[in-house]
Amino acid sequence: MSAPRPIRILLAILGMDQHEAGAFAVARLLRDAGMEVIYLGRFGTPEIVAAAAQEEGVDVIGLSCHSWEYLYYLEELFELLKSRELDVPVVVGGSVLSQSDESEIQAKGVAATFGPGSDSAEIVQRIRNLVEARGAA
Amino acid sequence: MADRTTQSGIPLQPFYTAADRSSGGDDEASREPQSDPGEYPYTRGRLASPRRRDSWISQELSGEGTARRSNEQFRQLIERGARGLDVIGDAPTMSAMDPDHPLARHAVGNTGVSICRLQDFEDLYADLPLDELTFSHSLPPGAFAVAAFHRVAKRRGFDPKALRGSTILLPAYCEDCSYQIHMPYDLRMRLALDSIEFAATEMPRFHAFLEDTYYISDGGLNAIEEMALGFVEIREIVRTLIDRGLDVDAFAPRIAILVNCRMDLFEEVAKIRATRRIFARMMREEFGAKDPRSWSCAITAHTSGLSMTMAQPVNNVARGAVQGLALALAGVQAVEISCFDEAYRTPSHDAHMVSLRTQQIVQLEAGADRVADPLGGSYFVESLTDELEQRILEMVGSIESMGPLKEVSEKGWFRRLFQEAMTRRADAIQDGSETQIGVNAFVIPREEDRLLRDQSESKIEPYWGRIDEIRHFKDGRDAGAVAEQFARMREVAAEGETNLIEPIADAFEAGLTQGEIAGALRLGVGEAYDPLGQMEPPA
Repeated sequence: MSAPRPIRILLAILGMDQHEAGAFAVARLLRDAGMEVIYLGRFGTPEIVAAAAQEEGVDVIGLSCHSWEYLYYLEELFELLKSRELDVPVVVGGSVLSQSDESEIQAKGVAATFGPGSDSAEIVQRIRNLVEARGAA
Repeated sequence: MADRTTQSGIPLQPFYTAADRSSGGDDEASREPQSDPGEYPYTRGRLASPRRRDSWISQELSGEGTARRSNEQFRQLIERGARGLDVIGDAPTMSAMDPDHPLARHAVGNTGVSICRLQDFEDLYADLPLDELTFSHSLPPGAFAVAAFHRVAKRRGFDPKALRGSTILLPAYCEDCSYQIHMPYDLRMRLALDSIEFAATEMPRFHAFLEDTYYISDGGLNAIEEMALGFVEIREIVRTLIDRGLDVDAFAPRIAILVNCRMDLFEEVAKIRATRRIFARMMREEFGAKDPRSWSCAITAHTSGLSMTMAQPVNNVARGAVQGLALALAGVQAVEISCFDEAYRTPSHDAHMVSLRTQQIVQLEAGADRVADPLGGSYFVESLTDELEQRILEMVGSIESMGPLKEVSEKGWFRRLFQEAMTRRADAIQDGSETQIGVNAFVIPREEDRLLRDQSESKIEPYWGRIDEIRHFKDGRDAGAVAEQFARMREVAAEGETNLIEPIADAFEAGLTQGEIAGALRLGVGEAYDPLGQMEPPA
């Protein structure tokens, strides 16, 4: 039996949000857990993210946020993914995620959210579960 | 690693005695006997005696929405006892991009004020006594703020020579931490040098040379790295100004350092004491400054936003009080305390009030700043001051030995340092080696964490209306004047000799915006007008 393909995750920051601390920490965490991380860097847009997700054939899209801009970009991103017929779960993590934001964006279709103080092991496990649940479907 | 260390990793003993002073520091022979506050090398303070009532200028970071809205915030702060103002821009402003840039569309006015034209600066300062308050401009690149502040003051009939305040420069680091302005090293350095040279004669009370080590360090650098990077940049700027033919005493008295204040109380006190001593010796012994005002550095402080947590926001009030106490014990010229909602947003009205009151309680009730350097002579604090001085100087030496600052910066060495500090800090919180109450110790269930929760998490909507306002403004300008000033800006950037401050002020006056001026400067030095490739030049 061959080893399973590692999970591929696209990590992005949208708009003018330029705080990368969270993105770096999560990128390293996921790499250490054996995932392939494609970090798009700063100044991302929904177009850039959707195109990269398709080109790279990722299993998950992760948005890192330290400003509220992601709230206004999410719908656009979901539409673009739909128009590209990409069924990829979107997860959002960041320092500015409040409890009410978490429920609000989950209602909009975000598959998982990670607020400040999220546990490393929990982040890795929930991303794995998401991908495995899809593989099984 | 010792079981007890400071936040920067300096091993600590269980207690200190007189013997630790001589064993801890740099070479004994070169050390001055303990001097008094107000005496060289100013370890114990810049002034012999603190001001009678309150020893520092209380400020709070502010700015949201439009300049008019921010001007209202200023007035409220002054009413409550602030004596200085510190304005921060929104993300596009901090990156020298206009609100009508496509990437800025959801970031206008919700993390600071949106500023891009001379009218905005006029609105920002409207009806305020420009010669009585100090205006700190956390609005990079500093050259824009210097040009605009000078021009607006003149237009309103104030003598620019009376203007006080500061602006941030950070030519070596600003592309590598937090907000990018997308300008190459030489252009960033020239804007910094031109600002200092211009202010030295035109606005002699203004600190155009503010080394903002807060800005570079709050991603996770420790106290040693913070000050080492600060001194590396100060030294480079001083050397280059001297090479330009300036007398060191013409600009050195207006050098100020804005430091970070984390939670390690004694380390932060010792860092500030060590900083004053390093600065004094460097200016006198290395750069040959003769004027004692060139030896004693003004230090202002902003308490660490990184130390503030989303969990249990009310805990942040206690953190602010401890940090305020550290600054009172260290002795500084101005203080800002990060607000309880800092982890989530730029400060609200209520949060401003609590932070200002914290400062006033530390000063006026606790009286922590009544006496200069109350910890002077403490075995522990003196030993830690020596140790920090030595470690900061060692790191300065090691960075300078890597080659010219421009090369070290362009090689990405600082960017890596900032990145490593961020991950190191994330690890320390995750593995608990750095304690944060409510985050990795004494955690309470989220549903119980309600105190100040709603106040801390109230959002500011983007000021979308501002985008159309600026589009409309751009369409209504005198196209000829805009084209002429745009061409001149490009030209002076390319030619490399003319001081850029007056041309920037002229460009503002003709209606050019910060995004356009930044673009013209970039074109002048052979870079793309818009680094993100989405905007066209106006002419």
